[in-house]
Amino acid sequence: MKRKTLIGLACLVVAAAALAAGLGMSRAQAAPKLTHVTLQLKWVTQAQFAGYYAAVEKGYYKDAGLDVTLKVGGPDITPEQVVLAGQAEFGLDWLPNLFATREKGGKIVSIAQVFARSGMTELTWKSSGINTIKKMRGKKVGVWCCGNQPELFAALNKNGINPASKSAVTIVNQPFDMNLFLQKKVDAAAAMTYNELAQVLETKNPATGKLYQLSDLNVFKMASPAVGTGMLEDNIFTTEKYLNDPSHKATMVAFLKASFQGWIYCRNHVEECTQIVLKNGTALGHGHQLWQTNEINKLVWPNPTGIGHVTPKQVLNTATIAKTYGVIKKMPQGATTYQYADQALNQLKAAHVDIYGNGYKPITVKVTEGGK
Amino acid sequence: MSVVLQPTPRGTVVKEIRTRAANWIPAIVVFFAAIALWQLAIDAFNIQKFLLPKPAAIASAFWTQRSTLWSAGWLTLKEALGGFAIGSAAGIAFALVLARFGRIAAALMPIAIAANAIPIIAFSPIFNAWFDPLSPAPRMATAAVLCFFPVFVNTLRGLHSVRPSQIELMRSYAAGELEIFRRVRVPTALPFLFAALKVATVLAMIGAIVSDYFGTFGSLGITIKNSVSLFDFETAWAAILTASILGVAMYVAVSLVERTVLQWDPTRQERGTA
Repeated sequence: MKRKTLIGLACLVVAAAALAAGLGMSRAQAAPKLTHVTLQLKWVTQAQFAGYYAAVEKGYYKDAGLDVTLKVGGPDITPEQVVLAGQAEFGLDWLPNLFATREKGGKIVSIAQVFARSGMTELTWKSSGINTIKKMRGKKVGVWCCGNQPELFAALNKNGINPASKSAVTIVNQPFDMNLFLQKKVDAAAAMTYNELAQVLETKNPATGKLYQLSDLNVFKMASPAVGTGMLEDNIFTTEKYLNDPSHKATMVAFLKASFQGWIYCRNHVEECTQIVLKNGTALGHGHQLWQTNEINKLVWPNPTGIGHVTPKQVLNTATIAKTYGVIKKMPQGATTYQYADQALNQLKAAHVDIYGNGYKPITVKVTEGGK
Repeated sequence: MSVVLQPTPRGTVVKEIRTRAANWIPAIVVFFAAIALWQLAIDAFNIQKFLLPKPAAIASAFWTQRSTLWSAGWLTLKEALGGFAIGSAAGIAFALVLARFGRIAAALMPIAIAANAIPIIAFSPIFNAWFDPLSPAPRMATAAVLCFFPVFVNTLRGLHSVRPSQIELMRSYAAGELEIFRRVRVPTALPFLFAALKVATVLAMIGAIVSDYFGTFGSLGITIKNSVSLFDFETAWAAILTASILGVAMYVAVSLVERTVLQWDPTRQERGTA
C-alpha cells in the first residue's frame, strides 16, 4: 500500500514537472521576452501623463516589446535624482531643471520634448487691479518651491522685481491647492493651465453663488509675448550612461514611439484617454481630468516638427531665459538629443500616423464644481 | 587625570590653557582626520555627489553663498528662538504651578510623559492651517510644542526631587511654603531645568527646519529642499552646515548660562556639564 502511494506520488511529481516545463516553453514561444523599463513621472497620477497611461492601456508599449512601469511622483520626488540613482531608466521633468542638474554635474540628457509650450501661469484677481507683472511689486506672490519657480522668477526679474529681495516682493511658498489665493491671503498665485487654473474655476464664488469665471481673473501666461519667460516643460530624459550604451538604442526608440502613440491616441480620443487616467486612480475627478487632458493636448499639439521634437531655437530660447535669470550660469551643451525621437517619428510616419496634429482642435470642456 | 588629583596652583593661567588645549587636541585631530577621509573617500570610491559632495565643495558653497545662507539661517533661527522661548517659558510656568498642587501634578504627569513621546513634528502641516501660514507663527508653534514637554516634565521632576530632610530643616526654621520653594525647590530643580533646556535648543531647531519644509521662501528648510530639487547638493549641505552651526550656538549659549547660574552646584563637574 505504502509502496503504491510512493509510486503514485512519484508519477504525479514527474507529470507536474513535465507540465510545468511544457507550460514554460509554450509561454516562451507565445510572447517574446519584454524589456522592462521604468518611467518616473513628475507628479501624482493625473492627465498631465495621459499619453503614458494610454500607451500602457492600449498596449503600445507591449507591442513595442516593452514592459513599462510608471512610477508615480509627488512633492518630494525629484525625477532627476531617481533616474541618476538608477531606480528608473527614464524620467519626466522641466527643461530648465534638467539644465540646472547638468550644470551641477548630474549627467542626464533630454531625449524627447513632449510639451512644446509652457503651461505655467500666474493668476491675480481682476478686482485687485494687478494687471501687469510690474504691479506685483510689494505684493504677496505665491509660487511653488523647489524647481517650479524659475519661470515666475524670470518674469519678476524681467520686470525689475528681484524675487530674492524681501523689500521688492514677498514670495509665498504656495501649497498644492489654491486656498491661499481663493481666501485672498496672497495677491497672486501660480497656476498651471491644466491644473490649478481649473481648480479656481471649479470653485463657487461666495459673492455670486456661481462658479468663478475666467473673466474674474487676470491670467499671466508665461508663454505669452507680454510675459515672455515661458520655458519648455515636460520632457523625457535619461542618463548619459544609458544613452551611450549601444544596446539601449532600440529600447529608447521603442519607448519613445509607443509613448508618442499614447499621446496621439489622447489627441484623438480626449474622453477615452481621460477615462484611462481616471482608472489609474486620480485625486481629482472626471471633470477636472477632462479639462486637464484637453489643456495638455494644447501644450503638445500641434507640433510642426513632430511630437517630442522641438527646434534648436526653442531649446536655445529656454536656455537663454534660464541663463538670463540665474537658473543656470553657463549655456548648456549637449543637454538634448532628438535622434531617437526622430527614428521613432520616422517609423510612425511610415505607418501613416499623424505626428504633427496640424489640424488639432481643442474640445470645449464644461467646468463642474469641484471638478467632479 | 593628574589634573583632578592635584588642585591647580593659583596663578598658572598659562598652564591651565595648556592643559585645556591638550584636552581638546584629540577631538580636533579626529575631526580633521574625518574630514580628510571624507574628501579622499569620495574620489576613492567614486561616490556620486548627490549622495555626498566633497567637504571642500561644501565649504566653497558655504562661502560663496554666505549672504543667502545666513539670511535664511537668521529667518529660521528667529522661528527656533521664538518657539524655544515660548515653549520653555510655558513648560517652566506649568511645572511651577503644578509643583504647588501635588494632586493635579500626579494626575497630569503620566499624560505629560505620554505626550512627550508624541512625534509632534507630525502636527506641523496642521499648524499651518491653525495659524497664518504667511507668518512665522506655525513654525514657532511647532518648535514651542516640541520644547514644552521635555522642559515641563524635567522641571517638575526637579521641583519634586527635593530631599524630605531639606524640607524638614526649612520647616524647623519656620520657613513658609514660598520660602521653601524659593530656597530649596527651585535651586534643586535648576540642574534638571538646564538639562531640559539644552535638549530643547536642539528640538527647537529641528522643529523650525522641518516646518520650514512647508513654509516660506528664504528659510533654511526651503533652501535645503530647493537646492536638492535643483541638484545643487553643495548648497543643500552648506545650508545643513549653517543649521548645525546655529544649533550648536544655541546649545552653547544655554550651556554658558548654566555655567554662570549653577556655579554653586557641586554636582555640576561630576555631571560633566561644565
